[in-house]
Amino acid sequence: MNSGPRATGTSIRDRADLLARIMITPAVLYIAVMIGFPFILAILYSLSDATTGDPTLHIIGLQNFRDILADPVFRTSLKNTFVFALVSQTLVIVLSRILATALMADFRGKWLVRFLVMLPWTAPISLGTIGWLWMFDSIFSPIDWILRKIGLLGAPGALLGPMQNLYWLGEPFLAMASVVTVHVWRLLPLATVIQLAGLSSIPRDLLEAAEVDGATALRKTLEITIPLTMPIISIAFLFGLIFTFTDMTVVYVLTRGGPIHMTQVLSTWTFFKGIEGGDLAQGAAVSLFMFPVLAGIAILVLRVARRTEVV
Amino acid sequence: MAKSRKKGMSRREFVKAAALSTAAFGVAPSIFIPRQSSAASKEIKILVWSHFVPRFDKEWFDSFVKSWGAANNVAVTVDHIGLAEIPSRTAAEVSAGQGHDLIEWISPPSQFEPSVHDLTDLVKEAEKRFGKQHVLCRKSSYNPRTKKYYSFCPGWTIDPGCYRKSLWEKAGKPNGPETWEDLLTFGGKIKKDQGIQLGIGLSQELDSNMAGRALLWSYDSSIQDEKENVVLNNKNTIQAVEFMTKLFKEAMVPEVFAWTAVSNNQALIAGRASYILNSISAYRSAQKEVPEIAKDVYFTPALKGPRGTRWNSEHVIYNYIIPKHSKNVDTAKKFLLDLVANYDQAMYFSELYNSPAFFDAPIPSGDRKYPSVKGAKKLRDLHNTWFDNDPFAIAGESAGKLSVLKDAEKWSTNVGHPGPANPAIGEVFSTFVIPNMFANAVRGMKAETAVEQAELLVKAIFTKWRKKGLVGGTK
Repeated sequence: MNSGPRATGTSIRDRADLLARIMITPAVLYIAVMIGFPFILAILYSLSDATTGDPTLHIIGLQNFRDILADPVFRTSLKNTFVFALVSQTLVIVLSRILATALMADFRGKWLVRFLVMLPWTAPISLGTIGWLWMFDSIFSPIDWILRKIGLLGAPGALLGPMQNLYWLGEPFLAMASVVTVHVWRLLPLATVIQLAGLSSIPRDLLEAAEVDGATALRKTLEITIPLTMPIISIAFLFGLIFTFTDMTVVYVLTRGGPIHMTQVLSTWTFFKGIEGGDLAQGAAVSLFMFPVLAGIAILVLRVARRTEVV
Repeated sequence: MAKSRKKGMSRREFVKAAALSTAAFGVAPSIFIPRQSSAASKEIKILVWSHFVPRFDKEWFDSFVKSWGAANNVAVTVDHIGLAEIPSRTAAEVSAGQGHDLIEWISPPSQFEPSVHDLTDLVKEAEKRFGKQHVLCRKSSYNPRTKKYYSFCPGWTIDPGCYRKSLWEKAGKPNGPETWEDLLTFGGKIKKDQGIQLGIGLSQELDSNMAGRALLWSYDSSIQDEKENVVLNNKNTIQAVEFMTKLFKEAMVPEVFAWTAVSNNQALIAGRASYILNSISAYRSAQKEVPEIAKDVYFTPALKGPRGTRWNSEHVIYNYIIPKHSKNVDTAKKFLLDLVANYDQAMYFSELYNSPAFFDAPIPSGDRKYPSVKGAKKLRDLHNTWFDNDPFAIAGESAGKLSVLKDAEKWSTNVGHPGPANPAIGEVFSTFVIPNMFANAVRGMKAETAVEQAELLVKAIFTKWRKKGLVGGTK
């Protein structure tokens, strides 16, 4: 007969519900400690007058939120955050669909192309962005060099102008385009892999039946492929949107928010205000502005995904 | 059955393995991490930036710290980090209430005043031993409102103008610009006739911040007055902003909106700038990478404004703080005093990038690891001799190119000029209000509007920090 403790141990190991709780505990603890605690701290900081030099919590209410709403740089950052996230994610979804469709086809060297497509995702974002910083350099830009060599830049009457460089990060529109380009470059691999998974999951007999019925490629795309992969497109969009919303590396490395805050986003403004400027409380308030937006987007996209899910 | 269990892992085995692994991780540190030798009776941990001049850390600072530790029976740990990481690292250590005993900043860390030790006694002792501390160092480490030294400043870096002599000779100004107006006249001529622009940054980075302030001060304006009142919006600021607009149109290209802290160095070295405002690091890099350009680079003091005033900002201000969490305050203070006592080596091994805060500090006797300078008794003597006869000049370079830097302390000032550095000035600096004020006007905004917008931001920042009791003034 088993002794008491041994019997208890056996019963714990055999109880699936208890075991499940034990197994999930590290994840819950991780979320509580690494996400929940900083989140609550950020809320408390945003309601206080804490600075980096004096992080004690002296609650002052909503003053920080009133102050940042009156700050024109904050309003520009908020607008830019939306513009960058929406424009880059729209491009990512369109381009990843094209890329995924191309990668579904059988061709020689397919594995190499897939490997190359994945490379930007495997490289650390800071290193990748430093590479782009050189690509967009105001003097040594290889893009400008190519444009000069093919006569589009740097000569009287050239299409893009007689100057030697385009000053990618110095002109507001080009700087914004550069930031969007790097976001697209970075997120395209993940979105492509997600879309590939979606495309692979479409039953072949469905497509073959459509072909037998004489459906064109466009009709198959619009009426079978897109509706069936909509849940997974939504997931790719959500992931990308959250990545872009919360990322500060691309803007920090490329432009530091310039020229004249034209590429400033909430994440970089949080850093400049809260850490470099020393105003921890206002920095926290700026960063919290992203939370309801992100939570709203997450709920919305998950609902869309569930509604369009094919059982 | 047994065979299959050997190949895979049952749920029970997984749970057991996970538990054992967790236990092992918990125990591992006490098993594998060797405890530090307790031979030294004291210890100190120092966090410093990775110096722009690599040989400073490699050939001097690290070995100086090591020998200092051995001589004083102190176990010293030195950690180097990039300058961009200093604010976040300091904030994290202050928030955690633990970390390094000494943290080096290269800008005034005034916002950390509530969390650091008052170093008034250290400054008094240093002045007793080494003579008066240079005023710009004092203003970058002392808060007149609270009457506290929140940091200790042993040195700083000069920020002269660097110009390409051959280009300026052709334009009819062989000794380079003397006034801001010269930049417009001759810089514009060089761009028009020789196709080379000049580079005063209008970007969201360090050097643009300093250049903008230099122009503002030389036009007899400033962000704050001596008593820390905001005085930015005035006719002199508007005049300076209008001048920058003209200067951009005549002598610059839009690259200056995209510049990072190294861009002006790169432009000079690449032969794509007729004049920049920078420390001698750009020239030192050129000596190693493009000697022909280096030979053509000469220096100017701060440029005069329309009424003859001339100021440049210090380029780097070295400031050590001792956080309140430090348990080795006396040891840290002793280290700082000994650092000043050995600042001759800091000057030499930084290739004259570092200038002393205590010019009258005596040069220690014995082998100083650099060619001895005849008759030199104080740091001032070394400063003058080395700038007159640069020990790092390359073959074929003209002698005395750096002589104009000898009296740099007369035309160099702190970022809060004419007042002290303070947290409000720091936040104005970190959020790029001044370069953006100029850039807005250059991009087409009316000068008055650009100044008004900047004033709005500055006043909000000052009001906020004033409420915390760290900034003086009333308006």
